[in-house]
Amino acid sequence: MNTMRQALVDTSDWGCDMGGRDLARRGLNGGPSRRAFLKGGALVLVGTSVIPSFLLRSVMAEATTAAANGKRLVVLFQRGAADGLNIVVPYQEKNYYSMRPSIAIKQQDVLDLNGFFGLHPSLASFKPLYDQGYLAIVHAAGSTDSSRSHFDAQDYMESGTPGIKSTQDGWLNRALLNGPAPDGPGGKPSAFRAVALGTQVPRTLQGKVPAIAVSNLADFSVGGKGPQTSSISNAFQAMYDESSDAVLHGTGQETFEAVKMLKAADPAKYTPAAGVTYPNGSFGNSLKQIAQLMKANLGVEAAFSDIGGWDTHQNQGAATGQLANRLTEFANGISAFWKDMGDESENITLVTMSEFGRTARQNGTGGTDHGHANVMFVLGGQVKGGKIYGKWPGLDNSQLNEGRDLAVTTDFRRVLGEAAYKTLGAKNLEAVFPGARVSPSEFLDFV
Amino acid sequence: MKPAPVVKLQEIQGQQRVLHALNRLMFGPRPSDVAAVQAMGLDKWFEQQLSPATISDSVLEAKLAEYPAMNLPLAELQRKFPGPQMIRAIVDGKAPMPTDPLMRAMVEDQKEFYKLQQKALAARTANAAEGMTPASDGEMGMGQPPAPVATAKVRTKAQQIADGMKALDAEAGPEKATEAAADPMAPVAGAGAPPRELGTKLTAMEPADRFRAIMALSPNELQRLRPAAGPALTAGFTPEQKEILIALPGSVRMIALEAMESRLMRDIYSERQLEAVMTDFWLNHFNVYVRKNQNEAYLLPSFERETIRPNALGNFETLLVATAKSPAMLEYLDNFRSVGPDSAQAARIKRAKEFAPNAKLLQQASAGLNENYGRELMELHTLGVNGGYSQADVTQVAKVFTGWGLDKPFQGTNYVFDERRHEPGTKTVLGKAIKENGEKEGLEVLHMLATSPATAHFISTKLAVRFVSDTPPAALVDRMAESFLKSNGDLKSVLRTMYHSPEFWSTEAYRAKVKTPEEFVISAVRASGATVNNPQSLVQSLDKLGMPLYGMQTPNGYSWTQDGWVSTGALVSRMNFALVLTSDRIPGVQVDWTRLLDEKPKVLPVSYSPGPTVDPVAAKEKRLEEILLGQAVSERTRATVIGQSTDTTVTEQAMTQFDLGNGGGKGQGRYIPRGLRPMNGPNGALEDAQAAVMAGLLLGSPEFQRR
Repeated sequence: MNTMRQALVDTSDWGCDMGGRDLARRGLNGGPSRRAFLKGGALVLVGTSVIPSFLLRSVMAEATTAAANGKRLVVLFQRGAADGLNIVVPYQEKNYYSMRPSIAIKQQDVLDLNGFFGLHPSLASFKPLYDQGYLAIVHAAGSTDSSRSHFDAQDYMESGTPGIKSTQDGWLNRALLNGPAPDGPGGKPSAFRAVALGTQVPRTLQGKVPAIAVSNLADFSVGGKGPQTSSISNAFQAMYDESSDAVLHGTGQETFEAVKMLKAADPAKYTPAAGVTYPNGSFGNSLKQIAQLMKANLGVEAAFSDIGGWDTHQNQGAATGQLANRLTEFANGISAFWKDMGDESENITLVTMSEFGRTARQNGTGGTDHGHANVMFVLGGQVKGGKIYGKWPGLDNSQLNEGRDLAVTTDFRRVLGEAAYKTLGAKNLEAVFPGARVSPSEFLDFV
Repeated sequence: MKPAPVVKLQEIQGQQRVLHALNRLMFGPRPSDVAAVQAMGLDKWFEQQLSPATISDSVLEAKLAEYPAMNLPLAELQRKFPGPQMIRAIVDGKAPMPTDPLMRAMVEDQKEFYKLQQKALAARTANAAEGMTPASDGEMGMGQPPAPVATAKVRTKAQQIADGMKALDAEAGPEKATEAAADPMAPVAGAGAPPRELGTKLTAMEPADRFRAIMALSPNELQRLRPAAGPALTAGFTPEQKEILIALPGSVRMIALEAMESRLMRDIYSERQLEAVMTDFWLNHFNVYVRKNQNEAYLLPSFERETIRPNALGNFETLLVATAKSPAMLEYLDNFRSVGPDSAQAARIKRAKEFAPNAKLLQQASAGLNENYGRELMELHTLGVNGGYSQADVTQVAKVFTGWGLDKPFQGTNYVFDERRHEPGTKTVLGKAIKENGEKEGLEVLHMLATSPATAHFISTKLAVRFVSDTPPAALVDRMAESFLKSNGDLKSVLRTMYHSPEFWSTEAYRAKVKTPEEFVISAVRASGATVNNPQSLVQSLDKLGMPLYGMQTPNGYSWTQDGWVSTGALVSRMNFALVLTSDRIPGVQVDWTRLLDEKPKVLPVSYSPGPTVDPVAAKEKRLEEILLGQAVSERTRATVIGQSTDTTVTEQAMTQFDLGNGGGKGQGRYIPRGLRPMNGPNGALEDAQAAVMAGLLLGSPEFQRR
C-alpha cells in the first residue's frame, strides 16, 4: 500500500524537509560551523542566526554569481553505468525486492535517509554529510536520449547534447566560457582554470577555454622536479615563446605558465589535512590532487575526474561484493576530499554522474544490464542537502521505462545547469545546454 | 559529373617534396631515407609503396620472430593460451583440465594468480574501507621470507613439465631436445631460496633446465622472483618459451601486450611504410577496444593481420565486408548478441521462458535487436554522421545483420551466419527494399554502403585530413571521392589521385599537420635511428601521452586533427619523452649518436650553413638538424639548442618526470610483467652526452611536433 501511495503521489520533492533541523545541523543557529563565514565575497556573515535561511540563501546565490568568488565546481563521472537502484535504495518499494531476488540491499542493511530511501552500506561515509546537510541526492535523473550504448551515452552526457553527435565541445567548457571572466593577474585566466586528472582532456572539458589534463602533478615538469624550473625547461620555453607556430606557441605559453605555477606551489610537499586518508587507487589519487591544486590557490574553477568499474553485468553482489567495493572507494574518496578541503569546502560544489542506470531487474548472471535513469549526488558548502530531489517514478512494472528500467524524471542537464549557474555563474544556460531549455525556474533548488 | 577544376597552387619544390612525402606517407623518415628516396625518384618510390608485396621486409620479420603467438590462427591462439573464461570454466569443472602438460602448468598458475589477485584486491578493499594505508601483504611483499613450498605439488608439477618439455623442445630444434634429459627434480631444489639466491641459481642453469625450473615455481615464488630477474633469466629461451613465461600470470596481458608491441615494431621497422600508415589509418577508422571484454585482446592479432592489413591498400568494399565478419568487430559492437525479434531463436527463447520463467540461462539469453553495429556501420564506417540515414534505417540495418555472429565466442571464435537468429521478412534500407535473403542481405547492404557517394566523400575527407591538412580543400576531396567511385573503391586509385594533386604539394599543406602522440613517438624513434629490442616502454609511453594503442574506448577512433593533441600536459610529456629517448634512457630502445654523427654521406645537407667559422658545437647541431628534421629549424630554436648544449645533467632529471618504471598511465602498460624480455639498457653511459641534449631539444622543439 505504501508503495502504491509513494508511486502515485506526484511530489516534486519527496525527501524530508529539513526546516529548522536543517539550520541546527548547519550550525546557523549559533553552532560551530564553517557556514558562519563567507570568504571572498562582499559579505561577512558572522552571527547570522537572525537571518532567515531563505534570505541567506538568495544572498549567497548572488554572491556566487558575482564573478569567480573562488567558487569551484568538481565533476565526477562514474563510467560504465552505475547501478543507482542499489546505491540509493528505494527500500520501501516491494517490487524492488521481487525484481532483485539475490542482489537487493536488505532493509536492515540500508542506511536509512528518509523512511523510503536508504544508502548502500558502503556509502557509510556519505551518511554524516547527508545528515549535516551538505549532501543532496537527485534520484531518477538521466538523459533524454534512450541510448543504452556506453559510448553514446557518455558522449551525450559529456557534450551535454543528448542525441547530437556533432557537438564539438563539452558542457563544462561552455559553462566556463559563459560564466564571468576570471579575474586572474592581469585579467588573464589561470592555466589551471579547468583541469582534468588524466592523460587527456575529457570530452566534458574540451572546447574554447584552455583546459589542462594532468595525471600526476609530480610529473608535471620539464626536465626535473624541484622548486626551480630546470635550465632545459627554460630552453624549451624560449623555443616555444618565440615560435612562429601559432598553435604550438599558444599551448607552449600555457604549458610553461602552468609548470611555473605548479613549481611555486611545490606539489611534492603536499600532505592532506590531519586525519585524512584517501583510498588507494587512481580515483583517490585524483581527488587528492584536485584538493592539492585547489588548496594551492592556482585558480581552479572546474575540475574533472572519473572512476570506472560500474558495468556490473555479472555477479555484482549486494551489501558486499563487486559493487560494494566500488562504492567504498567512491564514497571514501569523496568524503576524504571533503574533509581535506576543510573550510574551503564552503566554496565547492561537487556533482557526480554516470551515463545511465541499470535494469530494475537483475539478469541471469547476478548482475544488471544497461538501463535508463540513475542517481546523482551533489555535495557542497552551499548545497541544501539532507534531502532527496526529483520526482520518483516508481518501480511497479507498469511504471518502468520500456518495461525494464527506472524512468527518467529529471533531465541531468537540470542538475548540471543549476550547478553551473549557481557555482560558476554561467547564466546563459541556452549556450551551456543548447536546446535543453534549462532555466532557473526549472531548477530543483538544491543550491 | 564534371571533374573538379585543378587550381593553380604554389607548390613546394625539390628536397622539400621528398621530405613532405616521407613525413606524410611514412611514419617519418629515418636518417638515411631522404637521400635514398631522392636517389630512387619520388614517384617511383610512391608506386613501389603502393605495392607492398614487392618490398622486402626482412629486418622487420626478424624483429617479429620474437612474437610467434601473433601469427597463430585465432582458434590456435585461444587454445594455446586459455583466457579467463576458460580458466574459470576449468575451475568450476565445466571444462576439462588440458591434457598437454605445459598447458596444465599454465592453467594451474593462472588459477593461483587469480586467487592471489582476489586476495590482494580483498586486502586493498579492506584497507580502503577503513581508510588505512596498506599494510605489507605477507604473501605479496618483497621483503618477506618465502612461504613454504608444498613439495608434493611441486613434485608432480615438475614431473608434468618434464614430460611437456619434450613437446616444446621438439619445436625448439633437435640440439635443445637433448638438454631436456636432465633430472627434472634438480631445479626445484632452489625453489624455497630467497629471490636473489634463487635468481642466481636459475641463471646458472642451462636454458632448458632453467625453463623447466621456472615453470615449476609456484606463483608466489614467480611473483617474488620477477623484480630480481634480469634478461639473464630468459637468455637462450625460444620466443615460444618466453611467451609462455609472460603468459603465466594471465594470458590476456601477454596477448594484448604483444599485439601492441608487434604493431609498434611494424610501424618503426617496416620498409612497407605506406602499408603500415594505412593499416594504422584503418585500425583507427574501424576502431576496436582492447578492454571491451576479456576476449577482445585475442581478436586483435588476426584483426590486424587478416582483416585490416591485407586490405589496407586494396578495395574498400572487401575491407568493409572483412570487418563486418571479423570477430573483433562482432564483439566490439555487440552484433554477435543481436537476435531478430521475430526470428526462430527469439520464438524458441520465448517458448522456453514460458516453461521455465526463472531459468538463469534464459534470462541471460539475448532475444532482441542490438543496434550498436547498425548505427556505427553507417555513422562511422561508411556514410558519415550526415550521410542521409535515419533512426529507422539504423533499426532496419540492425535487422539485416541479425545472425551475423560467432560460434563459440571464447574458444576458437569464428564468424558464422546463424539463420535461426536472423530476422525474417523484407527490410527497407535508405529507401531500398532488401528482400529476405539470409546472409546475402548483409552483403547487399554493405555493397550499397560501400558504393554510395556519401561514403566516397566521407572516406576521402578522412584520408585527406590524415594526409594533407586538418581542413583539406574541397576540390581535393571531390577529386578523391570521384576516383573512389570510378574505381569501385580502389584505395590505391584514391591515394594516387591525392598524391598527384597540387593540393597535396601546396605550400599551405607543407608542415601543416601536428603529429599525434603515436606519430610523434614513432617518428622520433625512427629519426634518431634507434635500435628497438623491446618496444614495451614505447607502448607505455603512448599511454602516458594519452594515445594508448587499441585503447580508444569509443568507436569513433582517435582524432586526426590537432585539437585533441595540443594540450598543456601533452606538451610537457612530449618534451620529457624526447629527452629520455635521446639520452638512451628508454629501456629496450638504444640510441647511438656517435655512430649516427659519423655516417656522413647518407644524410643530405640542409640549406642552412653555419657560416665560415667552423665552431664544432654549431657544426654538430647542424648535423643533428639534418638527421632529425631534414631541414633547418628557426634561429631561436637553434640558438637555444646550442646554448643549452653545455648542460648535460638535464636528461637525468627528465627521466624522473617521464618515469617508465611503474607504468603510470591507465593503459596496458601497468600490467606489464617486467624483466622477462631483455631490455638492453638503459645504459646511461652515453659517449656523446652533448649530442643527446641537443637531440632531445630538437625532438621536443615546436618544429618536430609537425609533419
